[in-house]
Amino acid sequence: MAQNSAGLSSDYQFWMQKLSVWDQASTLETQQDTCLHLPQFQEFLRQMYEALKEMDSNTVTERFPTIGQLLAKTCWNPFILAYDESQKILIWCLCCLINKEPRNSGDSKLNSWTRGLLSHILSAFRFDMKEVGLFTQGLGYAPADYYPGLLKNMVLSLVSELRENHLNGFNTQRRMAPERVRSLSRVCVPLVTLPDFEPLVLALLTCHGHEPQEVLWPEFFGAVNEAFLLKKISLPTSAIVCLWLRHLPSLEKAMLHLFEKLISSERNFLRRIECFMKDSLLPEAACHPAIFRIVDEMFRYALLETDGAPEVLATIQVFTWCFLEALGKEKKQLKFALKTYFPYASPSLVMVLLQHPKDIPQGLWHQSLKHISEKLRERVEDQTDGSYGGPFECWFLFVHFGGWADIAAEQLLMSEAEPPEAVLWLLAFSYRPRDGSQQRAQTMVEVKAVHGRLMKLLRSPALSARDLQAAAGESQAAAPRPSACGQLIRHLLLNFLLWAPGGHAIAREVITLMAHTDEITHEIASFLDQTLYRWDHLCMEAPASRKLARELLAELRGQV
Amino acid sequence: MESLLQHLERFSEVLAVSRTPHVSTWDPATVRRALQWARYLRHVHRRFGRHARIRMALERRLQKQWRQEGGSGPAAAPGLTNFQALGRCDVLLSLRLLQNRALGEAACHSLLQQLFPGPGVPGADEDTLQGRLARLARRRSAVHMLRLCGSRESPVLQEDALMKTQAELLLARLREEGRAAAAGPGGLLSSLWERVPHDNFLKVVAAALLLPPSSPRPRGEELEPGTPSTAGEGRPELVRWLLGRSDIMAAFCRRLPAGVLASVAGRHPELSRGYLGLLTDWGRQLRYDLQQGVWVGAEPQGVPWEELYGRFQSLCRAPPPLKDEVLTALESWKAQDGGFQVRGLSVWTDLLLALGSGT
Repeated sequence: MAQNSAGLSSDYQFWMQKLSVWDQASTLETQQDTCLHLPQFQEFLRQMYEALKEMDSNTVTERFPTIGQLLAKTCWNPFILAYDESQKILIWCLCCLINKEPRNSGDSKLNSWTRGLLSHILSAFRFDMKEVGLFTQGLGYAPADYYPGLLKNMVLSLVSELRENHLNGFNTQRRMAPERVRSLSRVCVPLVTLPDFEPLVLALLTCHGHEPQEVLWPEFFGAVNEAFLLKKISLPTSAIVCLWLRHLPSLEKAMLHLFEKLISSERNFLRRIECFMKDSLLPEAACHPAIFRIVDEMFRYALLETDGAPEVLATIQVFTWCFLEALGKEKKQLKFALKTYFPYASPSLVMVLLQHPKDIPQGLWHQSLKHISEKLRERVEDQTDGSYGGPFECWFLFVHFGGWADIAAEQLLMSEAEPPEAVLWLLAFSYRPRDGSQQRAQTMVEVKAVHGRLMKLLRSPALSARDLQAAAGESQAAAPRPSACGQLIRHLLLNFLLWAPGGHAIAREVITLMAHTDEITHEIASFLDQTLYRWDHLCMEAPASRKLARELLAELRGQV
Repeated sequence: MESLLQHLERFSEVLAVSRTPHVSTWDPATVRRALQWARYLRHVHRRFGRHARIRMALERRLQKQWRQEGGSGPAAAPGLTNFQALGRCDVLLSLRLLQNRALGEAACHSLLQQLFPGPGVPGADEDTLQGRLARLARRRSAVHMLRLCGSRESPVLQEDALMKTQAELLLARLREEGRAAAAGPGGLLSSLWERVPHDNFLKVVAAALLLPPSSPRPRGEELEPGTPSTAGEGRPELVRWLLGRSDIMAAFCRRLPAGVLASVAGRHPELSRGYLGLLTDWGRQLRYDLQQGVWVGAEPQGVPWEELYGRFQSLCRAPPPLKDEVLTALESWKAQDGGFQVRGLSVWTDLLLALGSGT
């Protein structure tokens, strides 16, 4: 507490000095500086109020002899009064100064002075035009009656000026000078969250004028973005797209905000990730290629920084689902070639990947898988042509459409035929992108062997959990498997449990045997969640498998 | 219903007193009671917003009272003038008391406690009195800041925010008067004319005549569903009043810019006839100065040739029906003057020549 109040005292000095410099925020510099400090100052006011409300007015004047001066200066700064809740907190602070039982004329004088300030806040800035006041009063209106209407009309008039500016920028007669647009955007900084200002914010964002350089003030973009992220305002997607295109730091902040939300929410099911994702408007905004490229670039960094964390992979996948959905909705007015979204990938590969499995008959999925696998392999193994990036770039492109890898694993288990080379390669590449060709071949051999053993079990009349574990090679402790390949095999096994007729009965036992560690338990849960989510998207009819997956998932979530 | 109306009457009295030195006799309990009444009326406003009959009855009473209190008299004071005002009567009362220096210390302290109870008060923050007062402060700052940095007078009269707002208020009041008073709003307009600066008033009248018919009312003035739409109302009364008061009509046509008048005339044919009539009178007062070769006013306060020409020029730029009417009128006056085609004989011939339409 003592430390707290010491902190408050030093803040107090700082803000007192600031307020003196700012004065009534009538110059460009003071406005700029005021805007920069608005949130901090509001926080200070809040702390001040928390301190003041515990004291009686005499103690207040003892502890902070110049508090009246500080609050009075605040009352004269329109930027502060316009910002968020500052005017309210200021009023509360002023109320704390009122002496409940004034004992002498000094006390009364102070009370009266404080009242004056309060009434100034609520009726400040009367129009300097007497005739307007006389006219409205003659009609029986008080300023409080017509201020909202006046503000609305002022906003509308500016909006129509901006629109006109946007449409005929070269018509110099009614042109809004860039300087005026700029200063208008500055004035809006504290006011973006006031509902009356919504049309103006919208017009500023969407009307470009014809200047080669950005005329709006960067802090304006920052304030709008912040208000949007904190859900203090709602703007149409088109306006948000304009915001992010015009101000890159805002887009980056929106991405970071999404990451923060995902990280802070403890366990993310894909449904929840999807909600966050759609809520962020990023997939919709990404229909504009410039935004897509930046968002994608940030995903790439996240993937590299986390060494391919499964959570990031899942997020990229969900993003891609949502993005493609948004793109589909926009299809009619699709202005950009697919190449603009994935400039470094081979166009024919992108075309295959972009096809929604739902739009392809299930019987033809193996063909798509083969096609994807061959295209990727061509790129990955082609050492000469560096134009499409190395294996990482290929893999990064493929993980956007990670659903195909899951389909590959599922398809493998659903057919008793010899697994096609292409599918084996695709799985090996998808789970272990960093392997060299020799290691990859080894993985393919291993997967093929496991597949063979599992298919044999399919026909065995009495299936046991131990058999299954043996088939997966789990019990051969002599040759500990590299973990990622282990993951692939675990996924094959889980698919087997979900699809094989005898699998359901022993599923729980097998999972108990498999889940040695929390990490693996978590991995199994993620697999089930992802599978259910994919089935939903593909509208797969598999009631028994679905029921089992849902039950297993619920049980595992209860454990971790 | 009668008790509600009495309640209303009593509160109007309280509101009237709240700006006088009488509040020095108020104690904390009085302040509390006054605010309670205001809360009750706000509740009435919310509750009966959709009951056209009750609304109407309340509004009639409010109008009557406002007139009785001298609302339209020389010492007009804002008060409760319409049903919508009930929705913000607590804000109005609070502001008056806060600004009234006569309110005693104890009463004032109680007032502040009730207005600003501090954070954590239940209820939707936006809708509490505290929240609404804070929003008012915020909006006021916003208006101030826009006026400092962004807004400027619009070259189009009815698009200028200040003019438009005043025009909307005027039309709203005219609509209420039209509904409530049998005599119509002429009395209100004439009494305003006596009390407010004329230039601003005339501009507001013009803006009101030019506002698009569907112009939304000021916020808070919207009629809830269930009440008859009265979009066009107010303007015919204005036109009638102007035509009935030749002195004001003359001032209207003389003092407003030519462009504004041409737009008004284009929208209101009755006014365009009155305007043309005045232009004829003014034109007939001009005499031709042979030595200078120009038309000059016979009287110093008459309308000079340049101005007359400017006004006709604006009218001739108007869309067809008006433009044609004006040219036809000029032609007929020229014919009355003998139809000469020589300069200096008839002001109408010269005007037509100057306008490039002389035949």
